[in-house]
Amino acid sequence: MARTSRNHLAARALLAATATFAVPALGQDGDHLPPDLTGEEMSQRRQHWAWQPLLDAPPPDGVDTHPVDAFLRARLHQVGAALSPAAPPDVQLRRLWFDLVGLPPPPDATQRFCAEPSDEAWRAEVDRLLASPHYGERQARHWLDLVRYSETLGHEFDYELPNAWRYRDYVVRALNDDVPFDQFVREHLAGDLLPAPRRDAAGNDESVIATGAFWFVEQAHSPLDVLQHEADRLDNQLDTIGKAVLGVTLGCARCHDHKFDAIPARDYYGLLGFLQGSRYVQAPLRPWPADSATFRAALQAQRALAAAAGLAAPADDGAAPDDGVTLRERDRVVATAARPDDGWFVTNDGFGDRPWRGPLCLDQAPAAPDSAAQLRALPGAFWCSAVAGVAREGTLHSRSFAVDERYLHVRAAGRESRIKVIVDGFYLPRDPIYGELHRVLADGEPRWLTFDLGAWRGHRAFVMAIDQRAPDLGDPGRDRKRYADDGWVAVQSIVLSPHAAPPPTAAPPPALALDLAAPTIAAALAHLHERQRAWPVSPTVPALADGTGRDGFVHVRGNPHRAGAPAPRRFLSAIAGAATLREAAGDGCGRLALADAVLDDDDPLPARVCVNRIWHHLFGRGLVRSVDNLGALGDQPTHPELLDWLARQLREHGWSQKHVLRLIVTSAAYRQDSRRGPADVDVDPENVLLHRQNVRPLEAEVLRDALLAVAGHLDPTMGGPSIEQPREAIAEARGAPKQYGPADGGGRRSIYLAVRRNFPHPMLLAFDQPTPFACVGARNRSNVPAQALTMSNDAFVRARAEELATLVCAAAPAAPARIDALYRRCFARAPSDAELQRCLGFVGEHDDAAAFADLAHALLGTTGFRFLR
Amino acid sequence: MTTPGDDRRAPTRRELLRHAANGFAMLPLAHLLGGRNGGDGTQLRHHPARARSVIFLYMDGGPSAQDLFDYKPRLAREHGEPFALPMEPTQFDDNGATMGPVARFAQRGESGQWISDLLPHLCTAADKLCFVRSMVAEFSEHTNANYFLHTGHGLQGRPSMGAWIGYGLGAEADDLPAYVVLNGGLIPPGGVDNFHSGFLPAHCQGSRFAMRGEPLANLRPLGDPARQRARLQLGADLDRLSLAERGDDPALEAAIHNAELAFRMQSAVPELMHLDGESPRLRQLYGLDDDYEHTRTFARQCLLARRLVERGVRFVELTCPDTGSDRWDQHANLERGLRRNCRTVDRPITALLADLDARGLLDETIVLFGGEFGRTPFAQGNDGRDHNPFGFTMWMAGGGFRGGCSHGETDEYGYKVVADPVSIHDLHATILWQLGIDHERFTYRFGGRDLRLTDVFGKVQRDLLC
Repeated sequence: MARTSRNHLAARALLAATATFAVPALGQDGDHLPPDLTGEEMSQRRQHWAWQPLLDAPPPDGVDTHPVDAFLRARLHQVGAALSPAAPPDVQLRRLWFDLVGLPPPPDATQRFCAEPSDEAWRAEVDRLLASPHYGERQARHWLDLVRYSETLGHEFDYELPNAWRYRDYVVRALNDDVPFDQFVREHLAGDLLPAPRRDAAGNDESVIATGAFWFVEQAHSPLDVLQHEADRLDNQLDTIGKAVLGVTLGCARCHDHKFDAIPARDYYGLLGFLQGSRYVQAPLRPWPADSATFRAALQAQRALAAAAGLAAPADDGAAPDDGVTLRERDRVVATAARPDDGWFVTNDGFGDRPWRGPLCLDQAPAAPDSAAQLRALPGAFWCSAVAGVAREGTLHSRSFAVDERYLHVRAAGRESRIKVIVDGFYLPRDPIYGELHRVLADGEPRWLTFDLGAWRGHRAFVMAIDQRAPDLGDPGRDRKRYADDGWVAVQSIVLSPHAAPPPTAAPPPALALDLAAPTIAAALAHLHERQRAWPVSPTVPALADGTGRDGFVHVRGNPHRAGAPAPRRFLSAIAGAATLREAAGDGCGRLALADAVLDDDDPLPARVCVNRIWHHLFGRGLVRSVDNLGALGDQPTHPELLDWLARQLREHGWSQKHVLRLIVTSAAYRQDSRRGPADVDVDPENVLLHRQNVRPLEAEVLRDALLAVAGHLDPTMGGPSIEQPREAIAEARGAPKQYGPADGGGRRSIYLAVRRNFPHPMLLAFDQPTPFACVGARNRSNVPAQALTMSNDAFVRARAEELATLVCAAAPAAPARIDALYRRCFARAPSDAELQRCLGFVGEHDDAAAFADLAHALLGTTGFRFLR
Repeated sequence: MTTPGDDRRAPTRRELLRHAANGFAMLPLAHLLGGRNGGDGTQLRHHPARARSVIFLYMDGGPSAQDLFDYKPRLAREHGEPFALPMEPTQFDDNGATMGPVARFAQRGESGQWISDLLPHLCTAADKLCFVRSMVAEFSEHTNANYFLHTGHGLQGRPSMGAWIGYGLGAEADDLPAYVVLNGGLIPPGGVDNFHSGFLPAHCQGSRFAMRGEPLANLRPLGDPARQRARLQLGADLDRLSLAERGDDPALEAAIHNAELAFRMQSAVPELMHLDGESPRLRQLYGLDDDYEHTRTFARQCLLARRLVERGVRFVELTCPDTGSDRWDQHANLERGLRRNCRTVDRPITALLADLDARGLLDETIVLFGGEFGRTPFAQGNDGRDHNPFGFTMWMAGGGFRGGCSHGETDEYGYKVVADPVSIHDLHATILWQLGIDHERFTYRFGGRDLRLTDVFGKVQRDLLC
């Protein structure tokens, strides 16, 4: 892009003139409706196994005391096969450590268990690992694959999604705390709407963080067709929920009824409605409660300061406040602060819970109290993000409205803040096309901002006033930018109008400079600052927020410009019937009602999908192999009774994932050998029946973490902002990060490395870390030369090999003892005689300081290190 | 052909025993490694193939057909006048007057193809070129258009054409991947996902070779090569010991053999990149010693492309050097940008065609030239052109495409297609066809659907074929 546009008028005229981009009137394409699945066809498809209630078959009778083994053995018995014997203790232990905490067992743990590998010792080890904080770090990555976790928005400039990393930490914490899976899902769907959100010990809202997962979605910086852009974004968001939580491919019902599953297009668009009525915000974790005494005291201090300066607050006489705006013919008020119930939405605590009347102190932050303290007011009532001090933050949203007049006038004032018109959920309005929709407020003077919306006539929009430190989505000065601490924004009135000029307005009272020499004023100001400092400003997270609820319509052939039948909000009709959830939704988006439907006792899918994923990670393959698709085109379950028995276990044990994990890893099936046997030749060549464990490669992150761990270079610090890649790893391209990290990633676990859509981590990419564009429940397991080249030649790997060699050389003077220590660190076992002899031969041949580094390097490159047996 | 998404065939134990390689750099293992350097082990052919490889000269940014290939007298005549047709929305919304070509056009070769003076060398190869003057795309901004051109889908995440082809056909080379991107310096908008394998197995992704510094990450052996060999041999021996003691597995065996391919690439790739063996005449022909730095870079890319297809690589993609004119994306300073870009690619591309021809490789190599869209016939500002997906030009050469052919037509301004439109899906379908693949039968099961490079579209353009 060479330069920005100078000709917005022409652009908007063009956009407006182009019929292709116009928004359809409801139902205008009714003649071209896709046929809804008929009753018979639907009920036939409804017979598919995945829609059926959970089976309730008890474990088969037999010698087994462990139900998992009983189920598996019964199937194996039918083909004349059996489970394999237990794997050697070291193999079992290594498998368990990597599967549960993603780290190699340290030598003392190996010794502890291998000395006496009893069932009790195994269970103790399992419990120890389930209680380890590293458990959450390991399991979180599986979930992040499902929600396509990314800290940037992709597309041309790969803009940051501010504070995305807090979501990653949320997942780690939730898994460590074994938050019930239904609660975890509920928080993802409606964590912002829960009447009693889950809070951490410090009182921070945990639940709201989960909704950030919706925003790990690609967003274009300048799409020509915003309606299409919105439809594509929503599709990705819906597809992700569908696959991650329900194991269904909703995306297939976008252009027509699903070709194979019991999912009519009306289900797809019914679900879409919940998202269409939801918005992007940076939500605070611990806002200052507007009904608290401390908050009220800050407001009182504002009044007291005004009084000290000789400005009385307007009488609170119960009369409706006016906004000083004189409407003309065809001026239409979208919302005014004179009517607090006008469908306004606020986030964070800056605005309080109602509009303000009277003067406000809008000086610099309390940290710099002496500069330019002044009182300002707008006539009548106005929303202001600084009622409890300029340091506070917030965004103010209007209700959504149809753009049916050309001009939108917004009466506003502010400093270091922004007003945006969000059309069709497009949050990145910037030049070249959308500069018109984005304004910066700089000087604090109240004024009308006039937006020419001629190009978006017929679209839906809302106004967003933003005062927050987290960078704006798509801000050109991006990458962990912070806006000033002392910004504020005030909004009074929003008017749609055919008139290019704004409505006449009462002149605002001039700002009054405070006389700091006057003791009463100085004291009142000091008091105000003291009150304002009483509560720290909350960190924020990307989240969903409620918007103006509204049912959508079916897009004919998936084209958002072609409206078909209305699609009232509802859950999957195959599970919940065709009843709409519109009433339960009230005026809002209705996601809370959706969450209830998803987690209803009649919905077998979330529990089944969840336990199947756990199984996949512990055996390398799910009981249903296609973990993201339990539909007709997915695989059949190999052990349906076991699958549903596990799902029931999950539900009956408080949706505890740790319970299910513990059940599975204490089975003989999990602990059996992976060695191939006769059954591989004839009855079970693909090991579908699990007559042995599967050999599995360490995943990208686990491999990197293992390298750090065996080298003693692992920094166990948990959480916090992500570690960026080193400068040399970053390709020259648009959107390249402006910040760099150390070459060794600071020794931190891989889950703390930055995930940028357009700049994947080269080493993790080589080992199949997925691109975060869609739900990936089963990663690729590729075998590419780049992997071998990495293990052989990458400086990171070599550095770890050298550290590892130094470590074992310092601990033991003799070569055999050093080799023994290397094997124990890398493979959790001692070398065999043959291995020892081969290694001794090598270090004897290369009798120098580098010999052990070379030996360590060679061991790290072997399959014994890179794979789990 | 339909393959489950997470399935990757590993060589069977029997195959391994038959080809047991005991040590490094002993045996070529192409037959074993089909599953790793491209392909899934099956050589897919629906019908006899006309071509065996593709060189995609990817002109990042969208070259201007009106100034290079699509001669429109009326456009020149009305230069400076208000544009006579309705204008579609443009990316920059800064639409100016009608803008004639910045260079003179003439008919070239026996076939009389119209090519402008900006590409004097290419003019001499006019009879080899099969022009499609009626390309249409669906997106008018880069990222989506790039994904669309590469993957047949406007959003991130689908496999690139090169990945599909590598997946379907595998590589003929035993020491190189099936899909190689020769990176001239610029990564196009949309990032490396333009070259990604998407839902196909990861080994199908394009391997990017850099033109400066090390061509491939971690290619250079650390330290003394003899020691590296000893170290890798040690690793292989220890692997074999543990396999013998603890049991074998296809995944483990494949990884061990993969290490051997990687080891061979350490020498194969530098050997490939080492151009001293090429004759001085050829160096001169390509422009390897040209005065202009970017011509030298692109010459190197073109020569490497030949060497890669010679070695059996299926799909070679060239991206542009950074000439300081923002790729082919001339929103302003049209003439300056075009001259720089043309100077960069003109001589090397012409030499590539001649070189391939002389070696008998052109017949079996499809050379494809084009960008993600074209440009507007009216100005952006005073001296730029904005994006135009409604009608633009690409050309193919070799691989059974009809040289000297001119297909399709835009209106009198070169704005929109008026005859024989060819979509990106059509282009993909036709290229696959020449490689022996029927695009409608070339599917991969992912997320519950049998997906194709051409989605549910695409028609083989037989008019373009010999």
